Amino acid sequence: MITITINNKEIKLEKPVTVLEAARSAGIKIPTLCWHEQLEKYGGCRLCLVEIAKVPRLQTACTLMAADGMVVRTETEQIANVRRGILEFLLINHPLDCPYCDKAGECELQDLVEKYGPAKGRYKEKKRKVPESLEDPVIVRNMGRCIMCTRCVRMCRGLQGAAAIDVISRGGHSHIEPFSGGKYDCEYCGNCISVCPVGATMSRLHRHGYRPWQMVNETETICPYCGVGCTLIVQVRDDMIKRVVPRIGSVVNNGLLCTRGRFGYEFVGSKERLTKPLIRIAPKLSADSYQLTANLFREATWEEAISLVAKKLSEIKEKYGNSAIAGIASPRCTNEDNYIFQKFMRVALGTNNIDSAARTGFAGAQNFIENIFGQGATANIIPGLSNSDLVFVAGGDPTTVNPILGLQIRACSRNGGNILTIGNFKGIEYCSPQKLAPVLYTEDVLLEGIVTALKNKKGLSGANPKLEAKIKDISTSIEDVKNICKIKEKDFNEFLNILSESTNPSIVIGKETTQSNGASYHLLLLSAINYLINGRIYLLSDRANEQGLLDMGCAPDILPGYRPVSYMEFRRRYESIWKSEIPEKQGLTIFEMIDTARNGSLKAMYVMGENPAYNLPDSKSAESVLKNIEFLVVQDIFLTETGRLADVVLPALSWAEKDGTFTNMERRIQRVRKAVNREGMEDWRIISEIAKNMGEKFNYSNVEDIFNEICKASPLHKNLTYEDIEKGEGIYPYKGEPLRDVMEEIRFQFPGSRSQGSDGKLYLRVERPLFHSGTLSRKSSALMKIYPHAVARINDKTANMLALQNGEMVRVSSKKGSMELPVIIDDMVDSSYVMLTNNFEGKGAFSLLAYQIDPVTKAPIIADMEVSIIKGRLKK
Amino acid sequence: MLSEAAIKELNEIRQKYPDASAALLPALYIAQREFGYLGADAYEAVSNALGVPKAIARGVGTFYAMYKHKPMGRHVVQLCTNVSCMILGAEKLSDFLKNKYGLEPGGTTPDKRFSLVIMECIGACGTAPAMLLNDDFYENLTEKYIEEILEKYK
Ligand code: SF4
Ligand code: SF4
Ligand code: SF4
Ligand code: FES
Repeated sequence: MITITINNKEIKLEKPVTVLEAARSAGIKIPTLCWHEQLEKYGGCRLCLVEIAKVPRLQTACTLMAADGMVVRTETEQIANVRRGILEFLLINHPLDCPYCDKAGECELQDLVEKYGPAKGRYKEKKRKVPESLEDPVIVRNMGRCIMCTRCVRMCRGLQGAAAIDVISRGGHSHIEPFSGGKYDCEYCGNCISVCPVGATMSRLHRHGYRPWQMVNETETICPYCGVGCTLIVQVRDDMIKRVVPRIGSVVNNGLLCTRGRFGYEFVGSKERLTKPLIRIAPKLSADSYQLTANLFREATWEEAISLVAKKLSEIKEKYGNSAIAGIASPRCTNEDNYIFQKFMRVALGTNNIDSAARTGFAGAQNFIENIFGQGATANIIPGLSNSDLVFVAGGDPTTVNPILGLQIRACSRNGGNILTIGNFKGIEYCSPQKLAPVLYTEDVLLEGIVTALKNKKGLSGANPKLEAKIKDISTSIEDVKNICKIKEKDFNEFLNILSESTNPSIVIGKETTQSNGASYHLLLLSAINYLINGRIYLLSDRANEQGLLDMGCAPDILPGYRPVSYMEFRRRYESIWKSEIPEKQGLTIFEMIDTARNGSLKAMYVMGENPAYNLPDSKSAESVLKNIEFLVVQDIFLTETGRLADVVLPALSWAEKDGTFTNMERRIQRVRKAVNREGMEDWRIISEIAKNMGEKFNYSNVEDIFNEICKASPLHKNLTYEDIEKGEGIYPYKGEPLRDVMEEIRFQFPGSRSQGSDGKLYLRVERPLFHSGTLSRKSSALMKIYPHAVARINDKTANMLALQNGEMVRVSSKKGSMELPVIIDDMVDSSYVMLTNNFEGKGAFSLLAYQIDPVTKAPIIADMEVSIIKGRLKK
Repeated sequence: MLSEAAIKELNEIRQKYPDASAALLPALYIAQREFGYLGADAYEAVSNALGVPKAIARGVGTFYAMYKHKPMGRHVVQLCTNVSCMILGAEKLSDFLKNKYGLEPGGTTPDKRFSLVIMECIGACGTAPAMLLNDDFYENLTEKYIEEILEKYK
């Protein structure tokens, strides 16, 4: 125990801390500029100088460790004089443009000058002048205001791990700059701006549109973008989101955000939002025919639209039977929305035909892994990654799919952990990962080689006989790895040594794996590795409530709480709560829905917050199916490609306008809270109204009603309440009963016949960019400014071969179609593929894809898609 | 791009340091030798070779005045004008270089043959004025002597 006296107050300290931290713990404020609670100590600004009894000179409280018996004074005349002097120096070059600086009101420098102030400066020479920089799309810089505290540099280098900026030059000439000297061209997370104490770097989104003290309300909610589930504080004025900031201390993201969470909110206030229900008047053309909405639809009242939907669905059910209708749920909607959605499908329409875009990878992969290791096997705590001694990454760049999770991997590396990757991932390059990059489409051979070597090295423990039986069948020699994957033996052995010696490893699996040829086999191999090294698995999730939607039973084979539909006891349980019969037959997956609609036996679809005409592989064919279906209802916040094909379009409230909960990839349930008001209905309310119109009892007055019903119905969520969630107790395994004992045989499928990446052909690969997310980010102008249009990324070898320059227009074609777009030469791209995004209107990579279905995970296999690339535009 | 020999040298140096960023200073000297000065290409080459982010490489490089931060002539004259040299006429020598060769402090001759850097003390006060030409040391300079010396560097 250390006892220290600060301003006559005796403070007892359990563990060694700095004088500053000791003072803060006792509520004593010492002014600081360079110190920040999130960052490494620096001791540069000298503002925190304090007097220590018996020490002749003033000491910086932020770096001095508290010692037993120390007597400290934090405010004396001498200290005030010194601080005044420091502030006078800081103001020598400061432009003193507080009246139009957006930081005024929350500027630490202004507040300090107000407190200690130099009322009058003595500096007579000319001030340095630095013009405002608007070079970056989301950040505005007024570096004349910079006080060189280096907080931004420490943030970017330390916590963000991007190291995009640094102090350039020295002494009076030093300044903060990115490598280019101009544009930041970085990850645009904005974490640097949230630690800047002055108005030197700020968000450009609210430039001159916002004064901190004019904020009407602040709402704590959860990010609408990815499965990490970061806490956001949404600041609002005039029912407009003015700014989004993180909260220090929040459990998942602790004061950090990524570019999407911080800058991606503008879609909420977009003028393109749907406002009124729409009913089709014109024949259906195609999704991207640029016909005006007014020519396609007429506006309708809610009453009319709701009764039309209810009537049509009832008619179709009557005429063709329950299985002629299907519904697509949304990983962007809340648990409450999704629960009501599946209940509507099961109870009002009598079908298990419910699925979602989670089917494109996450759902099947999770099911597969849980079947081996038990339910909750992928529900691992994200910050736990940084405490791992090893992170093994396969199938995708975590720093773009789940950026804040990616930061934990970078932190693991900074803490001395090893990072191993299968393939090249730009976002973790500076962790100096140990890489094995097999030739395209030979990853399974490499993984087999790793399993074989690990098995021989570590032996089998007998703990999981089912899995061990499969592991015993795996045997691939190093020779095969060398010959087929083109990997050097030395690299393989080094990789394997690190892997096998790890004591606390984590495995991160991305969509490239879950959509690969032989996905279920890849997952088996990764599970085997996980088992042999005794690790834990993180399954990347690119949508905010992908996990929640599955837990709510929005899948053809499971009921809320992840209970299989096929088990009678579970059906009975829900039937007694819902007072309605639940069909026994498993429903259709999203891909089966498309196929069934194509052959004509599926007649109607209800799509909530999803865009299958764009977001499904082979999207053009999905589009033509949806165009021809007898009755299509699309409920969304924008008129999407799918919406354009609908018979009825229902406008929903967005994430910022409603209450509810999201479940993140750790299976943590968190509260989504309404931040702005808008006329309209939440997804659950619209569906409840339709259900009521069909004679069902869907009487919920608010989301809490629904949540309480969920927790009554679902054994997994048993007895959980909003109150528990507010207290942070919504973390798996909750208070309920996880599903443990219904494990089936481990089934998998080997990769089918496949191309070899080294055959000189080009294959399509999907880029999952940091700055975009599905088609939602299109409506966030900040994100669009950072990454404005679709590009084709190719390797410089490919570029040389085709004599292509950066930015030149090319035509990329597959057997499914083609598109024109500019190329970017990117050295992280392999010479065997072309990377395309699936985010931009009319330029979706998925429109060039054909797919097959993995029979086990039911996910699409989108590997092996040959494309060609030619210079120039098509001559018309 | 660094030459293969340079990369080899760099890797050897890297082994002597506990981590990559500690090896930055000697690595930057190698890059400077290869590229003639430290510009974007040199920093990027060092960054790629050591795995240190390029912004950090540049931050470190720009801190030190003794690196060359802009393109230089084939030969670099480093003339001392500190107290002893100044008293014994170094400033006149500087004027001489300017008038005779068009070589201004911090500048480069139009034919890119010489650059002139004004140095602080090189520890030759007893034999001032003194200068370094590339890595060669010259003392007791006079205008005539300088002329002779410069003739040797084409
Ligand atoms: S926005 Fe993020 S990546 Fe860019 S400089 Fe700031 S902290 Fe670094
Ligand atoms: S830009 Fe802001 S955070 Fe960065 S050094 Fe300047 S004042 Fe500090
Ligand atoms: S990591 Fe995901 S949840 Fe967090 S801010 Fe970024 S997009 Fe949002
Ligand atoms: S806060 Fe202590 S030196 Fe800056």
